[in-house]
Amino acid sequence: MKIFLLSLLLALTLFSNENKETIQVEILEKIFQNISLDDKIVIWSDNKNIIQEFEKRAHFSTTEECQKASIIVLEDKKNLKEGSCDKAIFVLNYELLKEIPRSFGSMFWKKGRPNIVIIEPRIKEQNISISKKLDIYKEEKIW
Amino acid sequence: MVRKRGLVVFSLLFMLGLFLAYTYNAISKAKETIFERIEKHEIDHISLVLQNLQKDICANNPITDQEGLVSFFEQKQNREKYEHILSMALSSDVKYSYILYKDDENKFRFLLDASKTDKANFNQKFDINLKEYNLIYTLKEPQIIKQKNIENIYVTYLYPIISSSGVVVGFFNIDFTTDIKMIILDSIKPLEAFFNILTIFIFIFIGVALVQIFHYFITRKKIFTDTLTNTFNRNYLEEIEHVLNLEKYSVAILDLDKFKFINDTYGHKAGDYILSHVSAIFKDSIRDSDILVRYGGEEFLLLINNRDDSKSNLNICERIRSNIAQENFSFDGHDIKVTLSMGVHKHPSLEKNLQEAIKIADKMLYEAKRSGRNKIVIYDEKLSSYSSASSSAKYLSFVKEALDENRIICHYQPIYNHKTGEIFKYEALVRIIDKDGKTVMPMSFMPYIKLTNMHYKLTQRILSLVLDKFKENQLLVSININFSDLMNPDIEQSIVRALKSNHHLASRVTFEILESDEIDNIELFKQKIHLLHSLKAKVSIDDFGSGYSNFKSVIDVEANFLKIDGSLIKNIDVNSKDFKVVKSIIHFAAQSNMQTIAEFVHSREVYEKLLLLDIDYMQGYYISKPEAHLVLKNELFKTVF
Repeated sequence: MKIFLLSLLLALTLFSNENKETIQVEILEKIFQNISLDDKIVIWSDNKNIIQEFEKRAHFSTTEECQKASIIVLEDKKNLKEGSCDKAIFVLNYELLKEIPRSFGSMFWKKGRPNIVIIEPRIKEQNISISKKLDIYKEEKIW
Repeated sequence: MVRKRGLVVFSLLFMLGLFLAYTYNAISKAKETIFERIEKHEIDHISLVLQNLQKDICANNPITDQEGLVSFFEQKQNREKYEHILSMALSSDVKYSYILYKDDENKFRFLLDASKTDKANFNQKFDINLKEYNLIYTLKEPQIIKQKNIENIYVTYLYPIISSSGVVVGFFNIDFTTDIKMIILDSIKPLEAFFNILTIFIFIFIGVALVQIFHYFITRKKIFTDTLTNTFNRNYLEEIEHVLNLEKYSVAILDLDKFKFINDTYGHKAGDYILSHVSAIFKDSIRDSDILVRYGGEEFLLLINNRDDSKSNLNICERIRSNIAQENFSFDGHDIKVTLSMGVHKHPSLEKNLQEAIKIADKMLYEAKRSGRNKIVIYDEKLSSYSSASSSAKYLSFVKEALDENRIICHYQPIYNHKTGEIFKYEALVRIIDKDGKTVMPMSFMPYIKLTNMHYKLTQRILSLVLDKFKENQLLVSININFSDLMNPDIEQSIVRALKSNHHLASRVTFEILESDEIDNIELFKQKIHLLHSLKAKVSIDDFGSGYSNFKSVIDVEANFLKIDGSLIKNIDVNSKDFKVVKSIIHFAAQSNMQTIAEFVHSREVYEKLLLLDIDYMQGYYISKPEAHLVLKNELFKTVF
């Protein structure tokens, strides 16, 4: 666990001088590598830069259509098409966890530091399994 | 001079580089000191605020453990109260101020957040993993974290909240902005950039200076080293001559015996082989403090350091001589034995300069050659008459350079047979072309190199030039030679080698020997003349009438010609005494079966006067000047006065 955390921080350190979105995708990639959905992970995001970064890194498939995605990386709630998406949602703002009941986790910047939160009841509800490496980021509720 | 200038420039640049490095370092340290002072000032200020706040929280509220603290801040009004106090008490340099605690799962959580932006919720998890966040719990002391990777935050200050039971139940977290730091950095950025650029330029210049100095030393080595022998050359001697302390050295001139013979017999490659191997033996035989210079073809100059006694110096000379004598040189299947003659001046500081000392050492070398070679002759300043060595050292050097650079030539003056109207023969007269291309007459240098090794080298060169020129034609030629030259075994050998194999050439050569020369051993002199006769060469007594030899000696020599001295001829048209003396000499020569030659026939009057005396041959400017080419009959009597 600590090793994973350290490697995450190391990645943060190494990429600290890079574009913030690049670092963000780097972290997201590590998170997604440690979760498993029923379907193969195909990412859609309302942030085109994030999609481009994922495409560049080529570890995960991406899509431009929300319906074809298995996981949604959401930055702004209004970009979420109502009713059309019953996918797993990973948000980029802690407050969106409250606003979007289907969102199971969040990666966001707090006081200049990267933070990860994964809501345990929601992943159980959505049959999302996560590796032990992400246990440290698990929360029972949203504060 | 170049070296000094280069070193001065390099030193200046190096000093400047050091100064810049020092200044840059001082500026960096000053910058760090400023930051540290700002940081200390901020922390001291905030520390007092937090201390009071901590006391207020713990003293006025029943907080004994972490749960108590969490419960206390669970109350919204408590959070708002302390958020308000905290935000009011903080300075503008604080970006974030909040209270954290560590829960049972070791996760850090917010209790309150007084920050104006990016506010966190109560109990919201906060992912932080620096050791100071755990240390504060064990040390119970404030912690300072210097941030590197967090945007706009350069220092984080942690202040513990300690319960009445002495346990750390939470801590204040204050994040300072980088604003002041950025302002300072921005203001000194131009200065830093200036120093950086200047330092880069200085280091480039230092690099260029280093390359140039390196190049200078490489070039210097080439300039001062003789490529064949790997010893110093004359350029080096000229370089050190003015700074050399002659009191610390003895001077020795080393010359390989019969080196010309080696070159002529085995070829120049063999000569080069011998020179390179001999110089290697020299170097093995001397010490590091001695200086070996290739002074000319097969001649070396050795400056022997007097760090030990003078006996040791002589030991070095003897060691060199015996090492060379013992060595058996083998080239192209031939075993070649080489010996060495050496002239030494133990106390060159007694002379005016190094050149004077070299000249004396050269004379000693000449003595060593004359007395049988493979010898060392040491100059004794108490006994020697050479102490009056004049400034003629420069002439010695002048001739040596001319020999080395092949600037020795011969002009030829016809000797006229007035009875037949034909040119009887030519007299070869040495000339040196100086470095400016001007022709230098022998009177300008010959008197100064007399009795030196240089003189016999010059004679050898003249012999070689003249014999080469006349071996392919039918003409007759006279060559001037000193008695002392004739006594020189090397010259004798050169003559024998050239004439023995070519009798036709020998019969056309006349050796003109100065009657005025100091002939101290008449029997030996006769032997040498006899040798020349045996080779079919002819002998002429030159400058007859100017010296003090008696007539009997001249008759004994059995010379073929008597050349009457110019001092008796030049005024013969006006001086009746000279006329009578010349008439007597002609009579004496006729009686002794010798033909006569009058030199210095410079005018028509002298010429016509000589016609009255039945002289056999005449030469002089009236008939023809010496020319670089062989003057033809139709060019005679054309000189305009």
